[in-house]
Amino acid sequence: MTILEPVSEVDVEVTVNGRSHRHRVAARLLLSDYIRDTVGLTGTHLGCEHGYCGACTVIVDGDAVRSCLMLTVQADGAEIRTVEDLAPEGASSLSPMQQSFHDNHALQCGFCTAGILMTLESVDPTDWSEPERIIELLSGNLCRCTGYQNIVAAVAQAWNSEGDV
Amino acid sequence: MIPSSGPHIRSGTRFVGRSVPRREDRGPLTGGSRYIADVKLAGMLEVVFVRSTEAHARIVSVDTSEARAVDGVEAVFTATDLAEVESFPDHIDSIGPVRQRPLATDRVRYVGSPYAAVVATDRYVAEDAAALVAAGTEYEPLPTVADIQQALAPGAPKLYDDWDDNRSVDIAYPRPEADRAFAEADHTFTATYVSQRQTGLPIETRGVVSDIDGGTLTVWTSTQSPHMVRTTIALMLGVPEPQVRVIHPVIGGGFGVKTHIYPEDIVVPWITRRLGRPARWIEDRMESLLASVHARDQRHDVEVAYDGDGTIRAVRCTSTLDLGSGEIFYPGTAPVFATNSCITGAYDLSKVQTRAVAVVTNKTPSGAYRGFGIPESTLVIERVIDRVARLTGTDRAELRRRLLLRPGQTPYVMHAGGRIDSGSHAESFEQALELAAPALKRVRARHAHDPDVRVGVGYANYVEPTSPSYFRTTGHWGGGDAATVRVDPDGSVRVAVGLSAFGQGAETTAAQLAADALGVSPSEVTVVLGDTERAPYGLGSWGSRGAMMLTGSVMLASERLTAKARAIAAHMLEAAESDIVLADGAFHVAGSSQPSISWAQVATAAWIRKVDLPDGMEEGLETSGYYHPEHLEHQPDDTGRFNSAASWSNGAHIGIVSVRLSTGEVSIEDYIVVHDCGTVINPALVEGQIHGGVAQGIAGAMYEHLQYDSDTAYPRFASFMDYLVPTCAEVPRLSVDHRESPAPDQPLGVKGCGEGGTIGPPAVVLGAVSDALSEWGVELTECPVTPVAVRAALRAAGAARGRAEGNP
Amino acid sequence: MKPAPFDYCRPATVVEAVEALGSAESGRVLAGGQSLIPAMNFRLTDVSLLVDIGHVTDLPGVDTEVAGVTVGATATQSRVLNDDDAARVVPGLRAALRHVGHLQIRNRGTVCGSIAHADPAAELPALAVAAGAVIGITGPDGHRTVAASDFFLGPFWTALSDAEVVTEVHFPAAPVGSVTSVDEISRRAGDFAVAGLVAVIEVGDGAVRSARLVGFGVGGAPARLASAEAAMAGWAPDHPDRRLMEAAVEDTADAFDDIHATAWYRREAVATLLVRAARRALANGETS
Repeated sequence: MTILEPVSEVDVEVTVNGRSHRHRVAARLLLSDYIRDTVGLTGTHLGCEHGYCGACTVIVDGDAVRSCLMLTVQADGAEIRTVEDLAPEGASSLSPMQQSFHDNHALQCGFCTAGILMTLESVDPTDWSEPERIIELLSGNLCRCTGYQNIVAAVAQAWNSEGDV
Repeated sequence: MIPSSGPHIRSGTRFVGRSVPRREDRGPLTGGSRYIADVKLAGMLEVVFVRSTEAHARIVSVDTSEARAVDGVEAVFTATDLAEVESFPDHIDSIGPVRQRPLATDRVRYVGSPYAAVVATDRYVAEDAAALVAAGTEYEPLPTVADIQQALAPGAPKLYDDWDDNRSVDIAYPRPEADRAFAEADHTFTATYVSQRQTGLPIETRGVVSDIDGGTLTVWTSTQSPHMVRTTIALMLGVPEPQVRVIHPVIGGGFGVKTHIYPEDIVVPWITRRLGRPARWIEDRMESLLASVHARDQRHDVEVAYDGDGTIRAVRCTSTLDLGSGEIFYPGTAPVFATNSCITGAYDLSKVQTRAVAVVTNKTPSGAYRGFGIPESTLVIERVIDRVARLTGTDRAELRRRLLLRPGQTPYVMHAGGRIDSGSHAESFEQALELAAPALKRVRARHAHDPDVRVGVGYANYVEPTSPSYFRTTGHWGGGDAATVRVDPDGSVRVAVGLSAFGQGAETTAAQLAADALGVSPSEVTVVLGDTERAPYGLGSWGSRGAMMLTGSVMLASERLTAKARAIAAHMLEAAESDIVLADGAFHVAGSSQPSISWAQVATAAWIRKVDLPDGMEEGLETSGYYHPEHLEHQPDDTGRFNSAASWSNGAHIGIVSVRLSTGEVSIEDYIVVHDCGTVINPALVEGQIHGGVAQGIAGAMYEHLQYDSDTAYPRFASFMDYLVPTCAEVPRLSVDHRESPAPDQPLGVKGCGEGGTIGPPAVVLGAVSDALSEWGVELTECPVTPVAVRAALRAAGAARGRAEGNP
Repeated sequence: MKPAPFDYCRPATVVEAVEALGSAESGRVLAGGQSLIPAMNFRLTDVSLLVDIGHVTDLPGVDTEVAGVTVGATATQSRVLNDDDAARVVPGLRAALRHVGHLQIRNRGTVCGSIAHADPAAELPALAVAAGAVIGITGPDGHRTVAASDFFLGPFWTALSDAEVVTEVHFPAAPVGSVTSVDEISRRAGDFAVAGLVAVIEVGDGAVRSARLVGFGVGGAPARLASAEAAMAGWAPDHPDRRLMEAAVEDTADAFDDIHATAWYRREAVATLLVRAARRALANGETS
């Protein structure tokens, strides 16, 4: 793991959505580009590349992070989850949160949706299901279409009904 | 939770009026959608544009040798390489010609102007090389023009040497009756209102991907108008139009920004032709803030004649728009005309004299943004009414009641010729007032014991011109749109439309319309759009035209298709055509549902089994309809008046704010919308449009501002830390209520709803904050309303400095 | 917006990291990267060697003792925010971190990184000065400590030299009976402050006994508001606000203008936050 001699390329091993990948990557390759171009999962979007909009949010070792603010070499050995991992595999169905987004018309152009879903996926709903906590949580992802109204509604519905079960 | 069907459902429709769930959702929810940056072709090269770092300069030289030597760089192009490419057309005679080149030649007029293109095998490498080109560029700086005042100053530096001055447009509409009213009125006042520079800012930036196969260019671009892009590429590159195919992939928001045709739309396909290889350019956020159009940068100099009882006798308004450099196609001038023609909003005010001025400055070209001049005009008239109310001691709501268009006044012809076909102008306001009353009480109670907080209420009543003519905007295109409907032999329906889609749910809407027209289920309808090869020529989606154009064109094509199908079914049932009815997706003789002929049987006869067709009937089951709204006009009359919109939606917004005196912080505590866009096709989608529009309106009212240095015309923004797009925490919960005043001249009464939400908030916030601070006589006249602006107003009004928790 | 090329290394010890930094023309430490990587994406920062300390094993984590909390260079803001023990001993940590960025940023961003970055609008440098934190630094000459009040020299400028690494920051326990508040005005949720104030206020007998006050987002470097601290000592709610506010305005003469606010607004806002802090401290102090 230790690299003492300066290098411009690094061999990395990364697990993405349960699948292991090994690549030699440029030290400067952003994790967002690695996921999209090297692994080929384009559901993760780039909206600003300076860590503000949240469109590129993925889960790294359990935490929601901006993949545009992480180098691929920093993810060496990490487990990454992206939006492609959310729907139950092989099924035509959606996860409860995805379904709630659909039911509540919580997306329009859909460009920001993946980042929002990954942020939501990364947290324990019991800590975040109060209305003001939902707003705080969502405030790290920009959406330009919905005015956030139906996103808040979708999250509240998904988490409250989960709580009811 | 969205109602699955609302009060909007009406007899004779099975799907129109219902919140049919969107067919567009699955892709974005699961990561499967293909946006422009997801279009990847084998051997594709990456393009990076090199952009001016000077606001105004001659380009002395561009040394590309170092960039060319970088490993992985395939080519570097500058303007001289594109000499044979035509300039962007200057279609409109009445505005100053800018003769825009796809890459700037010897002069740059704004920071961000593209003057070279680097082509490499890798985006990272292309950026490395672009930095070398930038470093190898020598400029000779020219004096700059940073704003309207500087542009109009005597002896101002000129952006275009062959123009008389920096005015691109200056057209006055004299109205003698307004002059007379000024002479007769008790009082007059003058005021200046300012709307600041903003941008639509879709979260997905722009992008272009191009490929060539034989002679045919295929161009994927994040445009709202693929056919217009195709026409323009063909014209500028000198390629026959059938050899250009333009596709918009899934688009991550447009908001007007993507209606323009940009240099990259031309240069990237040109590179593909030149190199014979696929190429792509994806705009990054920093360049997007400089390279995609800005908007709303307007100043309004207003004179008002009024009487002591609050009667507004006449208004004169000069609206001046800061075009930036003007180097954008179509040109950015049109919003100021929209502002002018809608300056009276939803009010019965006829004595209005306007003048529209557009000036060029050394800033990013301005152009379209959702609302297109109407948030600005609404800001003006609502501030004027509040001022008259204050000056005459009239209740602000009451004064609006007196002025609003009433039932029976439509069709109402506005001062500039706009023909408001119908609406619920007075009723919507009353409804909003009713909803606001308890909310205002709640908010006042919430802050009753905090001496540092004041509460205020703001109003906006607006009209939203929908499905406008594009002729005065583009100088070329008109205002109708097309649909082709086909039933295949298996009975499945294919609808292709000239509209585009970038989040509104046009596919779902089109399927609802076709399903009702053909008596099938939306799930049986395939919708095709956004591809010039597969969809009929159309102008795309902008100007709140989607719903109306879809309705008109899909219904027209469907009626033609159904007529033919009925004739075939009659023949097959050996019945008279006039006895045949279409119900539940099948044809039968009226009065007996059996025997029946399915769409599949009709289509099989039409396409395959010639023997089942009536004698002499043409084969095939595909029809087209080109819809042009009845009263839509494209050219003004001798007095400058014309009805440039097919229909007119309307609405009332009321906002309740609290203002913290000590810090100037404003919080919108309640925001009420009563909206009327005629017949609602899909209530959930309409509500979504309102939500998003209001959020963007609030963004403009309080947060977003593209600021430039007034000495250098350098942008003072580069990121989302500078351009403050509101997050979830800044947008309040919205209450939205609907009314339906059907458009009288449209097949289903549909009007359009894309822009209404954005129109109200600047006027509402200015009015509400001013109301909250009325004890100091504060009247805000400029957006955005920031904490600094509020504190500055209080200081100017002589209010003692605020205390943390005490009276100011 | 892709970073320019650079070399990369991933040492296992602090000493290796320092050696690597010393060998490079323009070496930079990569911890959370939440400020450095955006700057690199914008190509605003020239980096020849990136020294990734993410795998350095001889750094403290979040060590809470009676005397205070020591936060190691790789401890993320989220980790510290969620550490109940740390919040108990140094309440300012949680109060400040609540304002820092958004969840996704805090999940990567480090406390020490924020301090080394020295953004004048950031909360943590101001907290460090107000709390009397001590910055632990390791360089070619070994380990040294610098008081936070001597560490911040200006915007994005600290006492750190090129081959040095901030290895830990020690926040002393808040004085018994003190109330720490971190309050700010920002344009949007999670943004850097247009004006902010960290206040550590000791109360007794219905009045302020002493206060340590540091503004942020106002001037170039976080510094104690000396006049305001003097004015606040002995202040009680029935005293006029004016004296406090005037002192705060006096202390913030280096306030700056930018696109988000004017200098006068910033000075006035800090003054307002200061009165608010005093009133709340007295209200809280009496209930506790």
